[in-house]
Amino acid sequence: MPTGRRSRVPIQKCSFGYHHRPARQPGQDFASYSSGLITVAAATALRANPDRNFRYWLLTPAIFLLLLVGLFPLFYSLIVSFMRIDMMDTDTSFAGLYNYAHLFSDKRLWAALGHTLLITVIALPIELILGLAMAYLFLEKMPGRQIFISLLILPTIISPIVAGATWRLLFDNRYGPINQMLGWFAGHPVTALWTLNPQLVYPAIIFCEIWQWTPFMFLILLAALSNVDKSQAEAAAIDGAGFLRTFRRIVLPAIWPVMAIAILIRGLDLARIFDIIWALTAGGPGTMTETISVYTYSQGFKQFETSYTAAIAFLVIVILTVVVVWAIRRMGLAK
Amino acid sequence: MVTRRDLGKIGLAAGFAGTFTRPAWAESAADIAVKAAQQYRGQTITIVWEAGLQSLDPLNFSGPKWKELTGIDVKVVEVPVAEMFTKIMQDFRSGAGAYDALNVIPAWMPDLVNAGALEQLDAMVDKFTYRDELQKIAATYRDNQMMVNGKIYGFPDDGDVFVMYYRTDVLGDPALQAAYKAKFGTDLPVPPTTWKDFDQVGQFITEFTNGKTFGAAFFRESGYGNFMFQERFRNEGGKFFDGETMKATINSDAGVKVLTDWLAENKWAPPGVEQWGFVENLAAFLQGQTAMTVSWPPYGRWAASYGTDQEVMSWVPKSTIAGKVGYAMPPGGHPELAAGFCLGVSSASKNKEAAYLFIQWLNSEAISLERVKLPYALRDPFRDSHFTDPGYAALWPEAKDYLAALQAGANNGLLDLSLLQTDKYEEVLRQSVSKLWAGEDPKAILDAAAGEWDAITEKIGVDKQKAVYADWASKSGAYPKM
Repeated sequence: MPTGRRSRVPIQKCSFGYHHRPARQPGQDFASYSSGLITVAAATALRANPDRNFRYWLLTPAIFLLLLVGLFPLFYSLIVSFMRIDMMDTDTSFAGLYNYAHLFSDKRLWAALGHTLLITVIALPIELILGLAMAYLFLEKMPGRQIFISLLILPTIISPIVAGATWRLLFDNRYGPINQMLGWFAGHPVTALWTLNPQLVYPAIIFCEIWQWTPFMFLILLAALSNVDKSQAEAAAIDGAGFLRTFRRIVLPAIWPVMAIAILIRGLDLARIFDIIWALTAGGPGTMTETISVYTYSQGFKQFETSYTAAIAFLVIVILTVVVVWAIRRMGLAK
Repeated sequence: MVTRRDLGKIGLAAGFAGTFTRPAWAESAADIAVKAAQQYRGQTITIVWEAGLQSLDPLNFSGPKWKELTGIDVKVVEVPVAEMFTKIMQDFRSGAGAYDALNVIPAWMPDLVNAGALEQLDAMVDKFTYRDELQKIAATYRDNQMMVNGKIYGFPDDGDVFVMYYRTDVLGDPALQAAYKAKFGTDLPVPPTTWKDFDQVGQFITEFTNGKTFGAAFFRESGYGNFMFQERFRNEGGKFFDGETMKATINSDAGVKVLTDWLAENKWAPPGVEQWGFVENLAAFLQGQTAMTVSWPPYGRWAASYGTDQEVMSWVPKSTIAGKVGYAMPPGGHPELAAGFCLGVSSASKNKEAAYLFIQWLNSEAISLERVKLPYALRDPFRDSHFTDPGYAALWPEAKDYLAALQAGANNGLLDLSLLQTDKYEEVLRQSVSKLWAGEDPKAILDAAAGEWDAITEKIGVDKQKAVYADWASKSGAYPKM
C-alpha cells in the first residue's frame, strides 16, 4: 500500500486504488466538502505526493523535447510563411498572405503536384497488384521459400538515393547494361535516353519505384494473407465459388484493414517521393518530372526562398491531411 | 638643433638605407604571410574547398606545408560545388563562424557581398603588402573576378577557361584534307575558328570515317550546357539583357541560332551526347573516339598523360592520343571563363587575419606556381608568370602550346554572368538546355526562359539588378569586342 510520508489525511481505498481523502464533517454541505476535496487533491498532487510529482518531472524533458523538435518548428514555419525571409536578402519583414497568394499563380508548383499525382496513381496500383500476386505465390509452402522472401525484400532495405543512383547508371546510354541488353534483342545498338527522353522518363522512374517498393507491399500482404482463415476459402471452393469470388467475398474483407494501411503508407510515401527522382532526373528534362518534394527542395535549398517554401510546406500539409482523413474514413480504418 | 643640412643628411641616409634594405622590403608575399602568421602558431583555421580532386591540394600539399612553416593547422571542409554556396550562406546566417577561409566561384561574389558573408580584404592586402603581387594575376581574372563595387573580396585562384582541343593527326590527315577540299572547294581549316567551319569539319569527319571517329563531342548535360550557352550566345552577338529596361534578351535570334545549331550538331556527334558531362566527354576524347571538343584545361594535361599515373587519377581513362592534340581558342575566339575559384575570408570567421594570411600565401606568386603544377589538383594557371614558366612548359612536349592557349583564353575570355541571385538565372538556362533535349522548340524554350528571367528580375528589383548588371557589363570580359 502506498504511503505518503508527508500526508496529513487518512488514506482510503476506492475502486481506482488508494488515495488521500479527508472525511466529511458532520453538518458540512456537499459543495463545501467537494470544494475542499478538490483543493486537497490539488495540494496533494503538487506537494503531498512526491512520487507522483517525480513521475511528471521525469516526463518533462521528453515532453519538452517533443515540443521543441515537433511543434516548435511547425509553428515557427507557419510564422516564417507569413514573412519575407530568403537567404539572399536582409529584408525579413511581414509579408501577410503574399506567399500564400503566390501559391495559386505558381504554375510550376501545380505542375509538380500533378507529376506527383501521376506517379502515385500509376505506381501505387501496380505495386499493390504485384505485391498481392507475389504474396499469393509465396503463401504456399515451397522449397527455399524463406530464402526467396529474404531476397525479394532486399530492394526495400536499400536507401532510395542509392537505388536511384544505381538505376541511373543502369540506364546510362553509354555505359549502362539496359541499353546494351536491349541492343542484343534489337540486333543493333540502342541509344535510348531513359532519363532525358519525355517518352521514357516516366516509365523509368515508375519502374524504379515499383522495383524498390513492391516487396514492401508483398511482405505486408503476405502477413495478412497468412492470417486468413483457410477453412472459409475451402468451404467456398467446395460450394463452387471461383477464385475471384472467393477473393472478393472472403479474402479481401479479411485482409482489407492491413491492405488499407499498406496503401495509405505507400500512398503517403509516393506523395513525398524525392530520392529516386533526384538521383535519376533531378526533376528533368526541364521540370517534366519535378514532384512536389523536388520542387520544395529546389525552392528551399537551391533558390533559398525560405518563406515561400514554408508556405508550400503548409499547402502540402493541408492537402495531405484532407486526403488522409478522407482515405481513413473511406477505408473504414477509423473503425 | 637640427639644421637643414642635417635634414639633408638624414634624407640621404634614409635613401641609402632604403636602397640597401630593399631586398628586405621586397620580400615575397609568401614570406610575408609566413612571418606574420607565426603569431597564430598552434591555432587552426578551417577552409571550405571543393570535394574531390580539388581538395587534394590543401590536404596533401598546401595544408601540410603551411603547418610546417607556421605551426597553424589547416582543417579542410570538403563540400561538393553544388552545395558550397548554401553551406557558406548557412554558416554566415547562423553566425556559427565554422569557416575561416573560403573558396567561392566568382559569379557568386555579388550575392555573398550583398549578404555580408565575405570579408573585405583591402585593409589586409595593404597591411601585408600584397598589392604588387596581386597585380601580376592575369588581367582578365584580376580585373573581373576580384572586386565587387571597387573593393577586394577575393583573390582569383583558378584560371578556368574553355579551350578547344583537336586531334592533329585526324585534322592533319592528307586523305581527309583532300576529300574535304574536293567536297567543299576550300582547305580544311586546322583548327576551325568559326562555328560554321567547326560544324562543317565535324560533320565531315564523322561521315568520312563512317563514325569510327566522330567529328566532335560536347558537354550537353544541362549543368554544363549553361556555360556552353553563355559562351556561344555571346560569340554569336547575343546580349543577356536590354541595358535600359533590364528585359531579358536571350530569346533573340542569337539564342535561337545557338540552340538550333546544337540540335543539328547532335546528329553527327556520338549517339546520346545529350547526356554527356565532363567524364563522358573526356573518356571519348582520350580514347580517340572524337576529333574535337571544348572543355576546361585539365583535358589538355590528361590527354598528354601528365599526372595520370598517380593513384588518385586512376579514374581518368588512359590517353591514347598523347602527342596528337592541338590547343586553340573555341570557335568565335572568346572562351567562357567557366566557373573558376576565388579565395576569400568569411566575415563570420573568428580567425580572420590567420585565414587571410593563409590565402595570401596560397595565392602568392611562388606558392601558386607550385600548386598549378600539382598533377592531381585541378587549379589551372592564372598568373602571367604561370603562363611563361619554363618548368611548366617542360612538363610535356606540347606544354608550351598548351600554356599559350590558356593565356590567349585568359586574354579573350568571357565572364560568367554575375548578378544578384545569379543561380536563379542559371537554373533557368539549365532547364532550358534540358527542355531542348526533350524535344521542345528552341524559340519557345527561350521565350519561356526570357519570361522567367524577367520575373526573377522584377522580384529582386529592376533598378537594383540593373545597377549590378551595368557594373558587370562594364567589365572587359562581359561581352566580346566585335
